Amino acid sequence: VNGGARASTVAIGIAFGFLVTGSGFGNYATIHQALLLRGWYMFAVFGSAVAVAAAGLALLRRAGTTRYGGPLRLPHAPARRRHVYGAAIFGMGFGLTGTCPGTAVAMIATGGLGGLLVLAGLVGGMWLRGAAERQARSQHAQAVANQREQPPLSPARG
Amino acid sequence: VVTVLELLPAQLPWWLAGPGLGLCVAGLYGLANRRLGVSGALLAAVVAPVERWRVERWRVEFLAAVTVGALAAGLLGPDMRLTSYPVLSTALPAAALIPLLAGGGLALGYGARWAEGCTSGHGLSGCAAGSPDSLAATATFFAVAVAVTFAAHALGGGAL
Repeated sequence: VNGGARASTVAIGIAFGFLVTGSGFGNYATIHQALLLRGWYMFAVFGSAVAVAAAGLALLRRAGTTRYGGPLRLPHAPARRRHVYGAAIFGMGFGLTGTCPGTAVAMIATGGLGGLLVLAGLVGGMWLRGAAERQARSQHAQAVANQREQPPLSPARG
Repeated sequence: VVTVLELLPAQLPWWLAGPGLGLCVAGLYGLANRRLGVSGALLAAVVAPVERWRVERWRVEFLAAVTVGALAAGLLGPDMRLTSYPVLSTALPAAALIPLLAGGGLALGYGARWAEGCTSGHGLSGCAAGSPDSLAATATFFAVAVAVTFAAHALGGGAL
């Protein structure tokens, strides 16, 4: 439908995958050294990426519009418990495996067979979280239904 | 061992890779009004068909494109060879390595979905937009990852 958006998404995806891999982030040692605070490379890449992206987004905010996607919509959501709890679990996996979803793709693409195991776990973990949320929702709905079935107040005696 | 063209250095300089990644984030917003994120793409490509919900097609196409870019860099660079897992595979027996990698992956996936994003969606895109949820998530996962890495390093007697 929107050829420009589609082409730019594909082009940027290729550039992103190329840069993540070309930076050696598919290699466990690159991220591991950074998380041991022995190498600053990852933090320099990450920091400069966020800085450049933030500058770009500041310019886009002024324009207020995008080339192929209509009026610009940037995320602005309050920090909730799920972002901290979820990120804490994510950080454990990040520390143990020395990789994350994007760099796991780079790892596999450069022949890192262990990355397949991480990716399999990753997909399983996402499914598991989905199942947990479905269960929580159905329990909540059940509790609401139970509350409705109860009489509003016990009738006065006598 | 895969044939290597070796046109790229082992590691692009940070001042090229970092700003380049930043331009990817800003560019995807500026051109397509889309938030760059890999866990959302994996969710759409692999988990959504199992859970049977309609995905935004661009997420699947984005993941395919990332894979193509990663393969291209792998073929042009010196880093493409079949390996099990650097450092860990020499430090640990397979009986420990396999559950560690699968369990670590499980935590990555469970946490990313719970937190609604990962290193790219929150760490790069959300932080660049100054979104409070992303800033909180990013501070948390970096802090926990450093703590876990130090703990494993200490427990492993420096081998991990």
